[in-house]
Amino acid sequence: MLSGCRVLDLTTERGLMCGQILGDLGADVIKIEPPGGSSARSLKPFFADQPGLERSVCWWAYNRNKRGVTLNLETDEGRDLIRRLAARADFIIESENPGALARGGIGYGDLSAINPALVYVSITPFGQDGPKADYADSDLIMMAASGALILYGDEDRPPIRMSVPQAYLHACADAAGAALIAYYDRLDTGLGQQVDVAAQESLGLAAQSTLLAATLGADETRRMAGGVKLGPLRVPLVWEAKDGLVSCVFLFGSALGIFTRKLISYIYERGFCDQATRDKDWIAYADMLLTGREPIEEYERVKGVVANFLRSMTKAESFDLARQHGFLIAPLATTDDLLANPQFIAREYWQTSDERELGLKLTYPGPFARFSATPIEFKRRPPRIGEHNREIYVGELGLSEREFGDLARRGII
Amino acid sequence: MASRLPLSGVKVLDFMWVLAGPGITRSMADYGAAVVRIESVERVDPTRTVGPFKDNNTNSEYSALFGNNSAGKLGLSLDLTKPEARAIVLDLVRWADVVCEAFSPKAMRAWGFDYESLRAIKPDIIMLSTCLMGQTGPLARFAGFGNLAAALCGFYNLVGWPDRSPSGPFSAYTDYIAPRFGLVAVMAALIHRKRTGQGQYIDQAQAESALQFLTLPILDAVASGRKYSPVGNDDLEHAPHGIYPAAGDDRWVAIACRTEDQWRALYLAMDRPQLADDPRFKTFTGRHEHREELDRVIGEWTRARTPLETERILQARGVPAHTVQNTFDANDDPQLRHNGHFVRVDHAVAGETFVENSRFRLSRTPAQVKRASPALGQDNQYVLEQLLGYNDDRISDLVAHGALG
Repeated sequence: MLSGCRVLDLTTERGLMCGQILGDLGADVIKIEPPGGSSARSLKPFFADQPGLERSVCWWAYNRNKRGVTLNLETDEGRDLIRRLAARADFIIESENPGALARGGIGYGDLSAINPALVYVSITPFGQDGPKADYADSDLIMMAASGALILYGDEDRPPIRMSVPQAYLHACADAAGAALIAYYDRLDTGLGQQVDVAAQESLGLAAQSTLLAATLGADETRRMAGGVKLGPLRVPLVWEAKDGLVSCVFLFGSALGIFTRKLISYIYERGFCDQATRDKDWIAYADMLLTGREPIEEYERVKGVVANFLRSMTKAESFDLARQHGFLIAPLATTDDLLANPQFIAREYWQTSDERELGLKLTYPGPFARFSATPIEFKRRPPRIGEHNREIYVGELGLSEREFGDLARRGII
Repeated sequence: MASRLPLSGVKVLDFMWVLAGPGITRSMADYGAAVVRIESVERVDPTRTVGPFKDNNTNSEYSALFGNNSAGKLGLSLDLTKPEARAIVLDLVRWADVVCEAFSPKAMRAWGFDYESLRAIKPDIIMLSTCLMGQTGPLARFAGFGNLAAALCGFYNLVGWPDRSPSGPFSAYTDYIAPRFGLVAVMAALIHRKRTGQGQYIDQAQAESALQFLTLPILDAVASGRKYSPVGNDDLEHAPHGIYPAAGDDRWVAIACRTEDQWRALYLAMDRPQLADDPRFKTFTGRHEHREELDRVIGEWTRARTPLETERILQARGVPAHTVQNTFDANDDPQLRHNGHFVRVDHAVAGETFVENSRFRLSRTPAQVKRASPALGQDNQYVLEQLLGYNDDRISDLVAHGALG
């Protein structure tokens, strides 16, 4: 879909996935690393816990479908090469602190003067300007700043983030969508622009509109282990099964109450509750609880009924039931469960990449969407440091072998 | 406000509902697309029944969750069990460039709105179907909400404390990932169509999109045999690293040190220079190993001040720190205000309300949130008369047949 488009990927560890998404869509993505390799190559975990610049799992995770070159952007000659590459590029993606590249003469203003059609994507913690633009960041910091983190974790302990960093992945996926909107505009106008993606604002989506509660005078949503607290209601999403845990939605109202009615009828048939429990008004139930027409203790008792029912079955048994009857129940998968899930196998989702040097096959998640006319292909494994230097600098940019050798000797590439 | 936007002229027929779908078309509306959102009166969008509700009014027009995901769209209510309503849809397909739907896989086919049927009417149509598990495969018909896809993907087993069963991510995690990839997919197909004239069908399994965010642990688990389980707030690259108590009820501050400089700045800010000489904390490895003792020391300091005070003291010294923001903090956050994150709109029923702005900024063609989300059926007359050219008799006839219910 993006064949013929060239992307220069200058990102640090914050922004790697954006270029990968454009690469998946067929763009020619050139990952530009400092001569010693991207900082992402030094991030744990390493393959088999043996450190090495070609063994970082983080690097492997977000650099497929890219070619790789090295370039020292701290030097004038390095920045000059970026300008030459940018003259013929369609997209630049960068994730430096605001203003860092502009100070080196390769900010949006500099490069758009050379190539007005350039779509220049900047991924930062808080955006290009504003009172927190220069704040120091990390995954945890961004989760905290976004308003999502306060909703995660157990109510008697501090909030907790996901044990695998997520913040900048949200920003990267947004950056790819934003870049394509800008590119679509360019097809009409011939003009590029700067795309400013702040992780803080991207992550707002992960708070499920609860950021709006204060300004609208609505109840605050509070965290609770395995569920959420809505006003006086403790709404569980994680329940015990005979052999582990399942997620189950047990909610009310004109839309969600229909599922609950169906589930409770089945629970009644199986002898876990009486007729009066079955026949409660599950559509109006939340309102009844909030107005006191139904005591909270009764809601707690009914949740106990559901808990007993779910505890009487294995995860697989309740998932089978869910599929047969349209109940909202699914097991909490481990990585092993995930890889064995017949759905992803049937859809040939998992992709493997043969890493001969390391003597192993890597397993990657497959395409993020299935396109009937232009399917996503995994054409390239992540590049090694400087793997495509000659191909790109000599073969495509037109440096002579002598110039190329000279730049390499002086540590520019 | 009349300036041209990137998607001006792009027409979207929107059968999205619940959480993962409507955000995609909301973004398209922000950048100029004309989006006609189809709703059923009988089977109301579940997000209309979920808060936050303006003034805690649980009327379906007061849901900020619905309002946030459907701002900028036109609303048409249809009873798709009626043939007259289905005929309107076919006219809208002729009008549209993109059809998006988020039902379980059998629904569109049952109405005769599957891709092959729509393509027969409009050969270059782009159609996006988004559902939990995808259109094919043994779990294709397993429908539900993002918490269920998050469970099946393994996200639940990545949030929690090592000594307890997993807490899980907040609410419906895959619904916060899938819309981003859905937007990418539709935009890529629009670009392809503009370049080649060819439309196509997109099958988005929300689980398959969300699993992109687990690439690292999946690679690691398969390559190195590592077993992933929740580790609270521990981190491989940062120590100290955690959420620390602050003065007030349920008030917390995040602190994360990666470099020696940040660590030094932290103990100096805490006025605890003796920590520099503590053999337990001399190296990164030591700080990581003795993180519980270290967390206790830091917690004693943070507990004595508000999270904002700690944030400011530490950020002024280059230490990554931030208040764990709740909805009130977000509302007052100077950075979110600077970025215009909250946008006032006027809703036909709920009156003055707020939505979040576009999640990103385009320098030359910034997003425009032109209107609030539609009240149920708010734009029936406009869509039928102005977009489809129906006359009054025909519209009255549709009302009489109950097609707009």
